[in-house]
Amino acid sequence: MSLIADQRSVIGIELEHMTKTFGRLTVLDDVSLHVEPGSVTALIGPSGAGKSTFLRCINLLEKPDSGIIRVAGHTIEAGKNVRAADLATLRSEVGMVFQSFNLFPHLTVLENVAFPQRNVLGRSKAQARDRAMTLLERVGLAEKAHTYPSKCSGGQQQRIAIARALALDPKIMLFDEPTSALDPEVGLEVLAVMRELADEGMTMLVVTHEMEFAREVSDQLVVMADCHIIEQGDPKEIMKDPQHPRTRQFLRAVLER
Amino acid sequence: MLDAFLAVLKGLPYSLLLTASAFVIGAIVAVPLALGLRSGIGPVRWLLRLIVDLVRGVPIIVWLFILKFGIQFGHWHFTALNAAIVGLSLVSAAYLAEIFRGGILAVPAGQVEAAHALGIKRAPAFARIIAPQAFRISLPSIATYLIGLFKDTSIASTIIVAEMVFQAQSFARQNPSLVGIWPYIWAGAIYIVVSIPVAMWSRRVDARLQEAK
Repeated sequence: MSLIADQRSVIGIELEHMTKTFGRLTVLDDVSLHVEPGSVTALIGPSGAGKSTFLRCINLLEKPDSGIIRVAGHTIEAGKNVRAADLATLRSEVGMVFQSFNLFPHLTVLENVAFPQRNVLGRSKAQARDRAMTLLERVGLAEKAHTYPSKCSGGQQQRIAIARALALDPKIMLFDEPTSALDPEVGLEVLAVMRELADEGMTMLVVTHEMEFAREVSDQLVVMADCHIIEQGDPKEIMKDPQHPRTRQFLRAVLER
Repeated sequence: MLDAFLAVLKGLPYSLLLTASAFVIGAIVAVPLALGLRSGIGPVRWLLRLIVDLVRGVPIIVWLFILKFGIQFGHWHFTALNAAIVGLSLVSAAYLAEIFRGGILAVPAGQVEAAHALGIKRAPAFARIIAPQAFRISLPSIATYLIGLFKDTSIASTIIVAEMVFQAQSFARQNPSLVGIWPYIWAGAIYIVVSIPVAMWSRRVDARLQEAK
């Protein structure tokens, strides 16, 4: 049984001229990016570069000031009102995993994965539970189904959060520093699940500081700094021979730790 | 002494009735109030903030006098009991709205974000994700308010509602021979005996909910 419902996603992400400001502070300045269907893009760069905001604009957790988002068959023009129903559909097709997991603490692990399916997709209780159990098994946490998230380690919680997002059969997965709150060893469990997901052909956009993951798993590396994409291309080539001085400076800092 | 106890005990049903009705009515009214206090529409928020602060800013005894003696339409006016119920409900709604609002604010922002990111719409996200957590956070404050409210029902004695303190006062007045302090001691004892189980229940529920935190 695979992690994703229909293998080989045929949908990518197309972002054009995205701009986002918070008051006077510019966070994204005319950023465009294309993510091929079924490919993995790693987004790296110093903190404050706008990586997380960029990611959050894709499922409209942040409303971009201008730009066009084409994702999962939807085209969204920034600044126009999006109907609540369309917004919910878009978001159910774009899975998101947060740095701080954000599991629902008052629901059991199983309910965390089953409730969104029932609420968003209208699945029956039995269907939702079946899919939830399948996914929990796949991320190695079936035995935790009836406990509460607080009884799970950080790595386990993040794997549950991935299962929760996958349960809605998203066409695209966004990861916002999924391992940054975890110690390195525990982070590996999470990276292993993400690697499997990538192998199965999920379209993924991953904000990360895990250079090993970026090099080995991603098809495209994107470097952001100061509200712009300063460099993008083949991960191995960029890491070996970065063109932009800012990239060189950043990679040196990260790799020499 | 036993006479004094029995006299005060006659007031207990009224004290409980006032507490229960003011708490239930107050809690029901407090939910839309708490939501309105977080409304995105400025004027709605300002108006409700003004009302809540006005209600909380005036002592309960003043509200009870205003309701009992200050409001009259033709021959109709509040009975003492109704004035007490309405006044205490009003004050409870304002305080509980603040408690609920604080609880909602204390739910981490990541919870709403996660719900939205999954495509859960605003109303179910609030009802199923935010509200249960906000309630859990608010529970100790709600229990504290309930115990305080139970004791505050004694203020209704000032507009002649036959609750415990009123009974204690009239017993003391009718039996000047007896040491006048006894009915008040009994009243105090009954307040404590009724309050303790509420406090214990709240701690137990809180401990149980902490497990699923």
